[in-house]
Amino acid sequence: MRLPDSQLAVLEAASATEPTPVDRLADETELKPETVTRAAFDLRDDGLVTIAERTETTADPTDEAHDYLESGLPEVRLYRAAIEADADDAVELGQLIGAAGLEGPEVDIALANFARKGYGTIDSGSVTADPDADPDSDPEADALATLADGGSVDNDAIDADLLDQLERRDLIVRREHTVREITLTDDAVTALMEGIETAETVDRLTPEMLTSGEWVDVEFSEYNVEADAPSIEGGRKHILRQTADRAKDVLVGMGFQEMDGPHADADFWINDCLFMPQDHPARTHWDRFALDVPPIQGLPDQLVDRVESAHRDGVGEDGDGYHSPWDRDFAEAVALRGHTTSLSMRYLSGFAGADIEPPKRYFSVEKVYRNDTLDPTHLLEFFQIEGWVLAEDLSVRDLMGTFEEFYAQFGITDIKFKPHYNPYTEPSFELFGEHPTTGEIVEIGNSGLFRPEVLEPLGIEADVMAWGLALERLLMLMYGFEDIRDVHGTLCDLELLRETEVLH
Amino acid sequence: MPVVDVDPDELRELTGHEEKSDDELKDDLFNLGLEFEGETDDGELQLEFAPDRLDRLSVEGVARSLRYQYGDETGVYVPNTNDPDWTYEVAESVPEGRPYVTGAIVRDVNMTEDVLESLIQLQEKLHATMGRKRAKAAIGIHDLTMLKGAGLGDDGSGHSITYRGIDPDGDRFVPLDADSEMTPAEVLTDHPIGDKFGDLLDGFDRYPAIYDDLGLFSFPPVINGRRTEVEAASRDLLIELTGTDQWTIDHICNIICYALSARGGTIEEVEINYPAATGPYKTVGGGLVRPDFGIDTKHVAHDRIETILGVDFEQREVADLFARAGLSASIVDDAGNAADVNAVTDGDGVVYAVEIPPYRVDVLHPMDLIDDLGRAYGFNELEPRYPDIGTVGGRHDRTQLEDAARASLVGLGFEDLLNFHMISAEANYDRLNIEPSATAGDGDRRLVGAGEPVEITGPYSEDYTQLRTWVLPSLLMVLENNTHRAYPQDLAEIGLAAEVDESENTNVAEWRSIGAVLARNDATYEDAKARLAALCDDLDVDLETPPTEHPTFIDGRVADVVIDGDVVGVIGEIHPKVLVEHDLELPVAAFELRLEALQ
Repeated sequence: MRLPDSQLAVLEAASATEPTPVDRLADETELKPETVTRAAFDLRDDGLVTIAERTETTADPTDEAHDYLESGLPEVRLYRAAIEADADDAVELGQLIGAAGLEGPEVDIALANFARKGYGTIDSGSVTADPDADPDSDPEADALATLADGGSVDNDAIDADLLDQLERRDLIVRREHTVREITLTDDAVTALMEGIETAETVDRLTPEMLTSGEWVDVEFSEYNVEADAPSIEGGRKHILRQTADRAKDVLVGMGFQEMDGPHADADFWINDCLFMPQDHPARTHWDRFALDVPPIQGLPDQLVDRVESAHRDGVGEDGDGYHSPWDRDFAEAVALRGHTTSLSMRYLSGFAGADIEPPKRYFSVEKVYRNDTLDPTHLLEFFQIEGWVLAEDLSVRDLMGTFEEFYAQFGITDIKFKPHYNPYTEPSFELFGEHPTTGEIVEIGNSGLFRPEVLEPLGIEADVMAWGLALERLLMLMYGFEDIRDVHGTLCDLELLRETEVLH
Repeated sequence: MPVVDVDPDELRELTGHEEKSDDELKDDLFNLGLEFEGETDDGELQLEFAPDRLDRLSVEGVARSLRYQYGDETGVYVPNTNDPDWTYEVAESVPEGRPYVTGAIVRDVNMTEDVLESLIQLQEKLHATMGRKRAKAAIGIHDLTMLKGAGLGDDGSGHSITYRGIDPDGDRFVPLDADSEMTPAEVLTDHPIGDKFGDLLDGFDRYPAIYDDLGLFSFPPVINGRRTEVEAASRDLLIELTGTDQWTIDHICNIICYALSARGGTIEEVEINYPAATGPYKTVGGGLVRPDFGIDTKHVAHDRIETILGVDFEQREVADLFARAGLSASIVDDAGNAADVNAVTDGDGVVYAVEIPPYRVDVLHPMDLIDDLGRAYGFNELEPRYPDIGTVGGRHDRTQLEDAARASLVGLGFEDLLNFHMISAEANYDRLNIEPSATAGDGDRRLVGAGEPVEITGPYSEDYTQLRTWVLPSLLMVLENNTHRAYPQDLAEIGLAAEVDESENTNVAEWRSIGAVLARNDATYEDAKARLAALCDDLDVDLETPPTEHPTFIDGRVADVVIDGDVVGVIGEIHPKVLVEHDLELPVAAFELRLEALQ
């Protein structure tokens, strides 16, 4: 039989007749107690030892107790001082404090315990000592002395009431711990008689071992492979980014090209191109973030004229315009975009420089800004998924088929299309879908075919279908978050971000 | 979106479908685009809908749409009107800011408490939507019997009221919900309603006022006089609307007239006499007869209907669907003669002339008629199909670079963060110990983070007054809000930063900035530098870090981030002053640089 050093040492130190505590084995083998314990458990698993466990209570004197062991308990010192001053009559307390060497809280401690222990009486500040009391055999002092000398609660049979009293006085701390005692089995005795060789065990594999070839002869000590390891936080991509990337992957897979463009943009691109009348409630001060910078420069004049004409007179032979004011200064004012449809307008007009011959598919997943009340589901800044398809003769059915395909990638099926009104699309639909886990019917987007009043000024002759959706809504659907502020923004909770499951 | 309260019993009565249950009505209403939101305490249905069909802002209009949908009614209905007896004179003194007026007389209305309630709701909802909170149009409805109009003709025939402008304290009247006479100016200061609508008259020297023979009875757009208040016993009504656009007030007037006509009222025209046919009246003319129930016609090609809806229709199907939408379609043959629109043909090449009733305010283009037709057909009847269109997908260069840099940072152990682009000046500059437009030591280069702020005009929240000029302030706020969470906190963000730059056509320079912080007991400059160097290695650019000065960082432990020879950022140990300001009790090493430098 071959055993590691530590196990063999424990076997040799232990007895088949007398249970030996781990501490004693540790002393004899000069191993650490935890090493002995680990070796003992390994030996037990091999049937070589048995381990008996029992709970032992220890009581350790506190620092305060150690002080009293040197100077005496305060009440004992008071008693001695009182006897010294006058063994028969009452003595003023004030005279005794100095003589007894009582300082600070010790005075109260002495008074509290003096009468309790029968050292005498205290009446109106006068101390009368009982001459028959014996300060040399104070049970509390004796017990403390025993414990301080390494005595044990069990072996020295210290009374439980006395321990309670000492604990109340904060003079001891009681602890319970497990004592393990090791006994050899018959198999172990047999094996010892037959002789056991030692195997060298090593803790770590070192480069030297590998180069020297020493690794061939060593045995690796076993680890507790079930023990907890220290926790670490790896870097991870923000979950809203993960969701955005997933949406981008889906859209790229469906043939969409990504758009990019300014967050601070002219109202012309944000609203006027979209045939939003200038007196539309969404264009008032309260809904938009106007910026304190000069108006945009270099809007394409012809396009501006065509857009203004669409607002005033409509497009086509039978077209009508809005009966609303239209002012170029307002169109040129710069604001934070309320939707990324401003990018769609820049691209569709050709202003962004991309080729716009049909067919085309474009998308973006970017931030938009709306002045809303901050609450668990509304932020002032959020991500909008925006997409459009440019092709000849698109129908409402193509729009429905495209969006069903997109949402199916996120597990949202059975989409309902509710006829809706947008100033910039006709027909328009709000999209409703079933929540993948709760089954609730929730709004998941807004869509439609861009109106002729939008497309004609941009010079687009084919049809364009478009839709928009808040990315945060998709995130909340996928992860079940209840408060978007925990995730997005400086109030975010790092723990939540660290612990959120990675979806794939 | 507007919500209208509708009494289901009234709806059954007005549609003539007493047998419909509440649930059946709700389904029928959903198909019209009216979504059931809940019930009022009185058991009325609260219906939400998009603000296009303003003719459905009352139970009368909803009932009318249902009757078309049920096929109980077809064709465009125009109520009979009687010839004018009343004239609305408009004086030259009318305020320039509110030049237009329109109206009608409606007699013999079957008024009840319910009808009155519905009328008041219709008026409120029209004010809120098309009336742009009364700025564009304000409605006044009066009990005609309480008005005394002076005759105009030589024989004393006819009656008139006058719309004019008066001095704010130029006259007195008793407004609704008041017991004593007030001047218009006093209404604005002392009457509860004056507070809500007084802003509309800011800058007016003269206030709008409408008079009859007995005096001032309406103070648009604020409040009517008490004398002419409409009650459940009122039968004959005078309607007046004032506003900034003639078309808008005329169409609101039509919607009200149609609702009252459904309540048994007879419409009587009125004459409008403007003081001139010039100035604001140039396009509308000097004299008008209102209400204008003229029918608009738009033309829709059969083929366009089929491509938009993706369905093949017979011609008679289209005609039927238009009828159900409350429209009326007709066709002419090649010779210009009327042809049978209900003929059983495939409709190829046909162009329908579609009549649009005068209460519709949402039909701007033939496409709107195709949408009506789709709703009548039922959009959810359409079978979705994936379009057979081949395109190639791809990512924008800018976001690809951002992804590559983010992947590198995450690999280096940073938690990727996402913060708001809007911030306060205090958080962006002061708490980072810098000042806007501050320059670096040599004076000719702006300090990283000290760009000129792009400020929000009239900000609503003191926490969001500008766009951030760098990312580090956001990251320090996240550290500040997470001191109770486990350390180390190594955070990074790639996000938008911006500053005023008049060389950009928007006057705003926008860029993506990389910010990173290492918050840990032993964070040092070296830790930050090691990671920045690894990032630069990953993206294959040359990094140098010559010493610099920056008040956000500790002197002697701060460097410019120089990539391929250009200063693009800053790296260092955050100054204790900044740490203490953010309630941080451990060192933070950080860097910030422009994403585009990694290109």
